Amino acid sequence: MIIQILSVFAVVAVFSFLLEVPRHFVPYSALVGAAAWWVYLLITGHGGNSLEAAFLSSLMVALFSHLLARIKKAPVTVFLVSGILPAVPGTSIYRCVYYLIQDATDLSILYLIETLQIAGAIAMAIFIMDSFFRLFLTYQSRRAKSRS
Amino acid sequence: MDERILLEAVVRAGELMLVSGAEVYRVEDTMKHMLARSGYQSTETIVLATGIFVSLDDPDREPLTLAKRISQRSCNINRIYRVNDVSRRFCSGCISAKEALKELDAISREVQYGPWMKAFGFIGVSVFFTPVFGGGFYDFFGAIIVGVCLALADRLIKYIRLNDFCINAFCAFVVSLTASLLEGAAPEYLNAEVMTISAIMTLVPGVTFTTAIRDTLNGDYGAGSARMLEAIVVALAVSAGVGCGLLLYRAI
Repeated sequence: MIIQILSVFAVVAVFSFLLEVPRHFVPYSALVGAAAWWVYLLITGHGGNSLEAAFLSSLMVALFSHLLARIKKAPVTVFLVSGILPAVPGTSIYRCVYYLIQDATDLSILYLIETLQIAGAIAMAIFIMDSFFRLFLTYQSRRAKSRS
Repeated sequence: MDERILLEAVVRAGELMLVSGAEVYRVEDTMKHMLARSGYQSTETIVLATGIFVSLDDPDREPLTLAKRISQRSCNINRIYRVNDVSRRFCSGCISAKEALKELDAISREVQYGPWMKAFGFIGVSVFFTPVFGGGFYDFFGAIIVGVCLALADRLIKYIRLNDFCINAFCAFVVSLTASLLEGAAPEYLNAEVMTISAIMTLVPGVTFTTAIRDTLNGDYGAGSARMLEAIVVALAVSAGVGCGLLLYRAI
């Protein structure tokens, strides 16, 4: 498990080069990715399926990205896009194609549905966290207005 | 303040952000904040996934309009961050429009990571993902070869300049073919599935997808659906490429 988390840390750090993440933010985005994978492993380890794990780990990524963006005064995207990488359903896409070529259509469709489900779960997670923070911001600005 | 320079700086900032893959909402927001310093009565910005329109109007002055077509899109978070920074300083009055324009020009020329670092990125992702997908000790080294081939394929196809579909399909094809060949060479040590999945993780459209979702949430349905379609096209391209590689390997 520690090896997996360490390798996700390395993966996200290296992937940051491809996305041109500013150099001084690379450790943070790698940390976000590693924390999200830790959540993923905890959930799959306690009997959760990959859908729940992808949803909750993306939720973690979104939460940490928003918090870090507030603290470091940078766009949320900086941490969000690289941190989300390990949750992206690459495995399901590959298996979908693999079984299609093996003439196992039922398995192929199963993995196609899994791909769509995971993509939807990630989308929902980002939606929820974005809306939550927007709510928080309006609340904050309203309070600041009523004070002044 | 010279309105022409301001308008040019604003459009340049918007163009840089949009080309670098920022959300439409963020681009519009940045441009609107910068235009607030122009002193015109009404300022409008319209940003689509493929172009930018800015218009300034005032009863006392001639209206100004500028349109900019955006043809290419990539992901460059550093630029988004830097432009954001410049616009923040411009809005607070620390720098003038001319200085902002000069800084934006510098940003558009800046290269943070050279081609070698990019190649290292491709190889690194392929290699370090193998333990995550349950690969063994030998897969780790097999993935180095797959990663090198992927980096080479990426360089080659970018040199030829094909469209998004061809780029991703070709890269995925190279990945799945090399991974299958490696497994064929040493079946008891290497696992093609693990190596292929690790390497295609750099190609699957996670970033585009994330931006598409955030655009849609902000009500920019045009840009959101354009980006979503881009993500779907890339995903299809990757699966087509992988499929071709697997089929070719089976034929050999």
